[in-house]
Amino acid sequence: MKGANDLEKLEGYELELVAQNCRENVIRMVKASGHGHIGGAFSAMDIVTALYFRIMNIDPKQPKKDDRDRFVLSAGHKCMVQYAVLAERGFVNKEILDTYGKLHSTIPGHPDMYKLAGIEANTGALGHGLAIGTGMALGLKSNRTNSKVYVVLGDGELAEGSNWEAAAAASHHKVDNLVAIVDYNGLQISGKVEDVMNMTPIADHFKAFGWSVKDIDGNNMKEIVETLEQIPLEAGKPTLIVAHTIKCKGLSLGENVASYHYWSPTLEELQKTEDEMKRNKDRLVKKIEEEKS
Amino acid sequence: MIGQMLDPRQEFGKAVTEVAREDNSVVILSADSGKSSGFGEFMELYPERYYECGIMEQGVIGIASGLATIGKKPVFCAIAPFVTSRPFEMFRNDLGYMRQNVKVVGRNCGFTYSELGATHHSLEDFAIIRMIPGVVVLAPQDPAEIRQATKAMLQYEGPVYMRIGNPKIPELFEEKAFEIGKGQLLSSGLDVTIVTTGSMTCTVLKAIEILKDYGIYAEVIGMPTVWPIDEKIILESVEKTRKVVTVEEHYVIGGLGSIVAEVCSKNNPVPVKMLGVPHTYASSGSYEELLSYYKLDVKGIVESIRDFV
Repeated sequence: MKGANDLEKLEGYELELVAQNCRENVIRMVKASGHGHIGGAFSAMDIVTALYFRIMNIDPKQPKKDDRDRFVLSAGHKCMVQYAVLAERGFVNKEILDTYGKLHSTIPGHPDMYKLAGIEANTGALGHGLAIGTGMALGLKSNRTNSKVYVVLGDGELAEGSNWEAAAAASHHKVDNLVAIVDYNGLQISGKVEDVMNMTPIADHFKAFGWSVKDIDGNNMKEIVETLEQIPLEAGKPTLIVAHTIKCKGLSLGENVASYHYWSPTLEELQKTEDEMKRNKDRLVKKIEEEKS
Repeated sequence: MIGQMLDPRQEFGKAVTEVAREDNSVVILSADSGKSSGFGEFMELYPERYYECGIMEQGVIGIASGLATIGKKPVFCAIAPFVTSRPFEMFRNDLGYMRQNVKVVGRNCGFTYSELGATHHSLEDFAIIRMIPGVVVLAPQDPAEIRQATKAMLQYEGPVYMRIGNPKIPELFEEKAFEIGKGQLLSSGLDVTIVTTGSMTCTVLKAIEILKDYGIYAEVIGMPTVWPIDEKIILESVEKTRKVVTVEEHYVIGGLGSIVAEVCSKNNPVPVKMLGVPHTYASSGSYEELLSYYKLDVKGIVESIRDFV
């Protein structure tokens, strides 16, 4: 196993193992509070893990350093993904995960930048993150830094018109240090995104707004890393990655089930889930050992 | 006492440009609204700090919030209802909840865009913006105060909403540093306290001269910071006069009148008469006609105060 100083070299199964540990962190939060937005947290987990453990210029010891890359979780209800990864990356002690859902917790049901190191914006109401990210990217460009801004959007969230105001502004002002990633798991509370409000084809919409666009498998670590290492895809254009994901990826009873958008597990389900997390982890550890030998 | 008439938007724009000369973190955001906000000179001098976004007020507030996280001081000015009621959730979350150092200025406030009708009136902005915790609400009363309040809000760290009008207004005061959160005793009297704000202050100062002919001597408090309110100056005055009239170009509910009533009911319950616009969609017409119709001209204010006192 590589140590903390070798994080930038993590790849393949090692990154997948980190994502698996983070999924365990999410289950720990669900266990503490009795419920949580697990579907989106698990679908976006591989992307967010890759960003924090491989792609972004960040330092848990200096969470506010000027030249850091910024991460904005526009779909703030997926916040367990960010809390899980921040804890795994060393921004905060893992014990705070047990406070999820509790009074005065520093990890509330939607993120609060004044409560937890590493949170850059107070999101939760949908359709805010892309405009905030566009402003960050404009400001960083004007300061002539190389920092990038990564915004994770939900697919159902794209029906909010404010996203398209930001999409136009980012393109008009040529902010090529802005990267938006749509967690396209295809499901929202009421059912299929295409049935609730069809915002497809997502890629074509953003292309028409002047963005550089790529479709990827958002649960394939190799593909995620290869794509994110090529940013910007085109100079002078903001980048949009349509990450095709599976809602609740990594929890077999919830995969591709819309009702797992928000999950209140029974004790039996929780026990089964913990067992599944352990099996998945053991499988990855074994694969890493096999690769070594 | 009353000096030359000046355009509030030009005075505001000039003051921002003056601050921006020394402070290169000041940036302007425009929703196709920059030139009409008095930023013509700024656009020529500092084009790299002027972000035109087109007609997208929700987007602009979010972008301003993002710029502020990088240390910029964004100033966004457009027609008052379009920077308050339209992007209210962005104002609440992206500026208020995120405590961002962004200055939003609503021009053509109240019903100064009189003939354009209710869509362009802003008669609820005090009420809704003061509900956002941590946001300062300003309504300077004359050109000098607009210039000084602009400088003060750019020195202040945190979200500010300032409302200014559109017709030319007279100079009333000497130029002096603006202190956020402070009311001003503009005239002393024992019969009634009048608390007023924005361009209504000039009308009130004219009205109290006529009231003297009826034997009514009013104490006038000018309140260029509507929120957080200067409780002390109100309470000191009502202790003497035992009754208050509020005058504002805003709905009679939710704004300065409600704030003064909250202060009095909590500390020293005295009768509070609120003069403003009734809770309805105001008519269109000339600005002077609207002021007269809603009894916010000198004659109307004199009559209302005589009836009350």
